[in-house]
Amino acid sequence: MSNDGIDIEGGKTRMEVAYGAGDGDDEAKAIVASKEAELGTIFEQSYRPWDGELGPRWTRNYAIFRHHVYGMFRSTGHRHYHPMVRLTIFVILLFSLMPVLMLFLASLTGDGYMADVFSRMWGINRYNLWGQVLGYFPRNLCCWPLLTALVVGGMISDDRKNGTSAIYFSRPVTRLDYTAMKYLSVAVVLGFVIVLSYFIYYTSAIVFNGEGWAYLVDTLPMFAGGLIAGILVVITYTSIGLALSSISQSRFFAAIAFLSVIYGTKLLALLIETQFDTSILYVLSPYDCLAQIGQWLLGIDSNYNHPLAFSLVSIITINAACIALLAARVSSLEVTRE
Amino acid sequence: MSDKTPAVLVDQASKWYGEVIGINDVSLAIDGGVTGVLGPNGAGKSTLFKLLMGRLKPSQGSVRLFGIDPWTNTSPYRRVGYVSESERMYDWMTALDFVTTLARLHGMTREEATARAEHVLDFVGLSDVQNKEVGKYSKGMRQRVKIAHALVHDPDLIILDEPLHGCDPIARTSIMSVIRELGSQGKTVIISSHILEEIERITEQIVILHNGRLLALGNLHAIRALLDKHPHRILLTCENPRHLASEFISEDPVYGVRFPEEGKLEIQTNDLSAAHAILPRVIVDSGTDVSAIENPDDNLESLLGYLIGGDS
Amino acid sequence: MDPKGRELSETVWTRLDRKAGAITELTIRQLRHRISTWVVLAVGALVMALLLAFYVDAIRDDFEPVDNDGDSVDWDKDGYPQGQENKYGTSDWDGQEYPGSGYYVMTGEIDWNDNPRSHSGNHTWEGQGYLDAEWVDLDYTGSRWSGLIDWGDTNSCQEGDAFDDWYLEWGEACIYDDGSYAFSGKFRASGSVSVPESLYLQWGHMTLASYVEPEPASMYIDEDGILWDGEDVSEIGTEVDDDGDCLANPNDDNRDGIPCNVIWILDADGNEIIEIRADYNVNEDPEESKYLGESSHRTFIIGTGKMAFVMMLGIFIPLFLALGLVRDETENGTLHYLLSKPIHRAEFILYRLLGYLLLAGTYILVLVLLMALVTSLIGPGDSLIRLSDFPVWLGIGLATVLVLAAYGALYNTLGLIAPKYGVYFCIILGIWEFIMGMFTMTLPEASVPMLSISHWALQLIDAIVLIAWPDTLQYAQITSAFGIDSGLPFFWQPPVHTLGTQSPVAALLVSITVLLLITVAMIGIGQASFKNREIM
Repeated sequence: MSNDGIDIEGGKTRMEVAYGAGDGDDEAKAIVASKEAELGTIFEQSYRPWDGELGPRWTRNYAIFRHHVYGMFRSTGHRHYHPMVRLTIFVILLFSLMPVLMLFLASLTGDGYMADVFSRMWGINRYNLWGQVLGYFPRNLCCWPLLTALVVGGMISDDRKNGTSAIYFSRPVTRLDYTAMKYLSVAVVLGFVIVLSYFIYYTSAIVFNGEGWAYLVDTLPMFAGGLIAGILVVITYTSIGLALSSISQSRFFAAIAFLSVIYGTKLLALLIETQFDTSILYVLSPYDCLAQIGQWLLGIDSNYNHPLAFSLVSIITINAACIALLAARVSSLEVTRE
Repeated sequence: MSDKTPAVLVDQASKWYGEVIGINDVSLAIDGGVTGVLGPNGAGKSTLFKLLMGRLKPSQGSVRLFGIDPWTNTSPYRRVGYVSESERMYDWMTALDFVTTLARLHGMTREEATARAEHVLDFVGLSDVQNKEVGKYSKGMRQRVKIAHALVHDPDLIILDEPLHGCDPIARTSIMSVIRELGSQGKTVIISSHILEEIERITEQIVILHNGRLLALGNLHAIRALLDKHPHRILLTCENPRHLASEFISEDPVYGVRFPEEGKLEIQTNDLSAAHAILPRVIVDSGTDVSAIENPDDNLESLLGYLIGGDS
Repeated sequence: MDPKGRELSETVWTRLDRKAGAITELTIRQLRHRISTWVVLAVGALVMALLLAFYVDAIRDDFEPVDNDGDSVDWDKDGYPQGQENKYGTSDWDGQEYPGSGYYVMTGEIDWNDNPRSHSGNHTWEGQGYLDAEWVDLDYTGSRWSGLIDWGDTNSCQEGDAFDDWYLEWGEACIYDDGSYAFSGKFRASGSVSVPESLYLQWGHMTLASYVEPEPASMYIDEDGILWDGEDVSEIGTEVDDDGDCLANPNDDNRDGIPCNVIWILDADGNEIIEIRADYNVNEDPEESKYLGESSHRTFIIGTGKMAFVMMLGIFIPLFLALGLVRDETENGTLHYLLSKPIHRAEFILYRLLGYLLLAGTYILVLVLLMALVTSLIGPGDSLIRLSDFPVWLGIGLATVLVLAAYGALYNTLGLIAPKYGVYFCIILGIWEFIMGMFTMTLPEASVPMLSISHWALQLIDAIVLIAWPDTLQYAQITSAFGIDSGLPFFWQPPVHTLGTQSPVAALLVSITVLLLITVAMIGIGQASFKNREIM
């Protein structure tokens, strides 16, 4: 069979339809052979190199990103998050917004003793901004680790278990894109809860108290410090979580491993500190390193005895090691069902 | 069997999963010999087996193994071996370990279990590889390990759910011979399949399920004879179909001919065996070169089609 | 033996035994075949090794004397430790003020409201105003750390009225063209000073200085010890404020009408100290080697038992190992092999748990014994090996194994009841248990933590400790009453659930019973649920 049997000039090939740069809806028709085939004919496979234009890389990556993030809000068509997971995340978000409610109530009570108490407990100051992101109880004891564990658990391990990574790697998506988008999706979901709630807290405090520009300018450096701390929390937890997810076979192992890393190191360091009067082991605990850096960023006295540099180095090391592990695992991820 | 109760007794059993019906009012008794349970995918074969093995509770009716309800009592499993359709095994175990461990669940000592396991692995032809991990086995070998585990306690009743599924022809043949051997040892063997030819090569006693209903029960040939009374087709590939057709149309069992495509002749008959009886003579008489004879209706689908009254 | 005879010789029980053995063995082998099991167990062992390393390090230091009240430190770096400064009544926060340094005495002031607003003389001045100086002490260093005017750094004054149009910083002065100064701060000069309306000025002089020999810091470490030897309660006598820091500023915190004393309260039999009420600053700096050694050693054992064993290993090992005992089999489709054997589903769950418990329990017991061996060999005390530690370590092992059983049963049951949601519940429950454990450590009598498993295990350890070492209560009391930094009161408090008897044995039994009940109840619920489960 010669080339006249295949419509090369007109229409688009499948590749173009699937990955082409066009908007796709007008001519979304795949034509491979135009001649009606007879029974018993051996198809002469006539390939032609595809020299069409691949859609921009970011659109493909955005599709991966969207797939993971939209799944939080919509139940169909995107990555499936268990309803229980979504409910828990919603509860955590509500809980982290509780100070906003308190500030609102405080703004209703007007001036007086109660308003003073309210504003001291929930108003903007260095300690409260730090606490909104890095306070141990309940934020970092119950909320953020649970949130991360639930979001990150199946992120890569599910692909490994179900072999769905093939869906990505059989398309023009590099492993780097795949990993980066997974990372970004997790970070965005975590950031949605951790950073956004912090942001809402700060802005609502200003709105409810009717503060002016001067106040805003005064507190902005503090706010920025807390914001950086919050972003650091998101990045670190995402790195650890994804690294664990990439080495696990099941999503629950990843989730449990993440929790045991966060709680285990904290508990061990606490045990050593109370007994042997040294806070050095806190460098092993991601939470405590973040807390110390956050204290520095917000200008609060550190309640750790070891130098800040240790925590900084530790956080950089933890992130680097986790990302290296993640990269190594993803680059050796076999495109089969394991 | 020394006792009078049949090995398997299903009495008006139904099982539905929510809205979906798995088994609908099935009654049957099976005792002795090899019985093939036939039906297309989703016919209710596995549901029937899971009811027998106490995995599921019948929604209506009752199921008895050796007269005992398997849902509430596990004691009949002493006399039953079950090969499930599940492909998964403990891949890290050797075949011998696997069978030995499961044998010990019958209350055997470790030594007894090992001896029995070696015996059954030899029986299914795996003795030379019994110390290899199951994960490294081919599919046919895995199926045979599964059969071995079901035989390890020398059961009276063996239930095999799609044991030939996914096996290559060589594995198929060896598994079939194992099953035939079991039948000849006087055990009750129930085997399911959706391929008629497979069952035909093992047994003549069949149960046909379709959409959860019991369609036919009994001897394969008897069922076939019943089917012979239905319109049947024979497809011939030959050089000169029109000439051959003129020869056939005068014969009694043949009531119609058709030319589906070039070089083919389709003979329509009401009596398949009679048609087959005259077939060689007519062909020889006509002097036409026939290169192939096919029975397009001789498969489970068309069998089912006739049984449920369609005319496909 | 022929088959018939064999059957006769076998009872139902031996057959049950064999089935149990087979499933238990299968479970252990399955767990052993997972890398995650080894990782989890290795991490647990690593944690213990780390703890031991810190412990050995601390023991080697031989409990250096610790300055509990912190008065050996020379905070203001003037060469005199705080204790000595306290004795002479000088401040330890002002480097210019030390024993013999002389101090500032105020002789006069111009208040905000006073009418005559100028004064002249040779004084040490402090405040704000204008100075017409005859002489200024350029080297004056005063006795306070703030507001000293640095005369070498004075600029010309700005246009306008000082203190009205512009302000001077505290500790600054400026010079006018006519040679007079505007100042804000402290200085020594001779001349006349005028103070504008609504500002303040005071003046005075420094007393004469004399030399006082600085005392070594070691004098203020362990300087206020406990007279009682800590062993025989009948020898408890009257405690004295050895270093005099209480007597210098007497208090009566324990409200017995006598300042600076200690009240010892014994139990009904008069054998054990159950409470110590000390006035503030009495016996606040005792010798560490005498009390800290034993107390720290116990703290280490209790802390390790509670935090490392019960809370870390106890909560996380079951999450890793027990969650999938039956659930994984269902998911993988390998359950069919096991359930097509003549074994009841309830037995099946029980044997699975047994297998898990054998593996995890053996691991815990090995770890506990290793820890016990090392710490009892190098721990404080005269004997070669501290045999009295072993019951406590075994109690920790018992508590951990009970916790492993309870969590194992709980997680397994959750996985059975809710195959889809169960694991999420397990994760949330794990966090709940962790938080409740922390609560129990700090507030054992709170009622909410009673709803957790970790609470009862921690209580069990508290009870065992009191049974094996009855004098722990006394150590805890001494530690908290006299401020010895051993952490014992943080890690150990007397058991709460004694059913009103105050007996640790009762508390032990209550805790064990509760833990066992939880385990049995969970297994029962799991069995009931599994028995009626249709397996697809």
